[in-house]
Amino acid sequence: MLEKEVVVTNHAGIHARPSALLVKMASRFDAEVFLSCEGTEVNAKSIMSVMMLAAALGSVVKIRTEGADEVEALRAIEALFASKFNED
Amino acid sequence: MEEIIYKTENGNTRVIEKMIVSKFFEDLKHRMDFELLCSKGLDQRYFNQRDLHRPGLALAGFVKLFTHEKIQILGNTENYYLLSLSEEGRRSAFNKVFEFPIPCIIVTNGNTVFPEMLELCKEKNIPLAVTGLNTTDAIHLISGYLDEMFAPEISVHGSMVDVYGIGMLFTGKSGIGKSEIALDLIERGHRLVADDTVKINRIAENILVARGHSNLKHFMEIRGVGILDVREMFGIRAVRVQKRLEVQVDLQLWDGKEEYERLGLDEQLTGILDVKIPLIRLPIYPGKNITVIAEAIALNQLLKIYGYDAAKEFSEKLTKEIQNKQALSTKVVDTYLERDFE
Repeated sequence: MLEKEVVVTNHAGIHARPSALLVKMASRFDAEVFLSCEGTEVNAKSIMSVMMLAAALGSVVKIRTEGADEVEALRAIEALFASKFNED
Repeated sequence: MEEIIYKTENGNTRVIEKMIVSKFFEDLKHRMDFELLCSKGLDQRYFNQRDLHRPGLALAGFVKLFTHEKIQILGNTENYYLLSLSEEGRRSAFNKVFEFPIPCIIVTNGNTVFPEMLELCKEKNIPLAVTGLNTTDAIHLISGYLDEMFAPEISVHGSMVDVYGIGMLFTGKSGIGKSEIALDLIERGHRLVADDTVKINRIAENILVARGHSNLKHFMEIRGVGILDVREMFGIRAVRVQKRLEVQVDLQLWDGKEEYERLGLDEQLTGILDVKIPLIRLPIYPGKNITVIAEAIALNQLLKIYGYDAAKEFSEKLTKEIQNKQALSTKVVDTYLERDFE
């Protein structure tokens, strides 16, 4: 199991479109991917759950991956956050 | 002679190249209440234009750009003009116009046909008919008929069902279960338009109408069972002859590597006969209830037509929520600053 904390840096936060990107990315991996924010952890392969987090700019989100390709999954999700979801 | 000669455009679009004049009269004789005064040339003349023409200018002598290949309508205007001429004048006017290979002439308002015109029609083998309808009604009726006849058509492999009033076309590879989904929808009270081969016509700029092949009626084949007659089995309420095509649902075997639509914010469109309609790529796998999803797609489409887009609505709400959160955190900073007694 791997864990890493990232900060939401895109201006609009994790709204619908970034959520879709996150879910699509997470679904590419066999590993389980979870995101948690303000104490709530959700499955990153479920779009409604990810949107429920409603993580705003500056929020700290913890990524947790577990499974065969957990390293790659963590790296990919982290990169997505770093890319500001192609926004801003 | 063949009644209609078709041609193919863009590989799979069928359009009428030309149509025999006798079929036009035959198809419209009851609606138009035609009195056919000259039937000569009826079975020899073809026409290829969906538009009509009123030959007022041509009768007045100006035959440059005279669209003689269209069906010619003689209304009151032409009639009064011709009445104003002497018999000799009319004769020369007709002579000039009838030099052209006109498909046929229709006199409206039940106006009396000039003997010299009838004589010339017979001589030149130009069909001539009178209708009691006024010109506006006659043109409206004929144009409607011709638009329908000349509408470009394609045949698509799929099933067409009216789901809650939304015309849905199911496409996908052979054996993926299009007919089974159609059957399931029929069972739930929806109406089958066509199975297997769906004929689609573009009847107006952005309107597609789908219907079945006349030979196939409402028969369908279910693999392992054979041929079923949906109308006989489920009754008249389970079928309909045609339906406007509004959504295409493309069924695909679920593929873990493929990325499917998750939000529905960006509507994918498909172009059938150059008309853009929503396309939904639906992944399927055993045990997935496509019928219920099809109903949901139809209802969601209805909501969209009525101006409510669930995906957009949700997304806006979420964005607002996130903004509020952000505003809240700045407020905390504000209170901190308020208490900063430096």
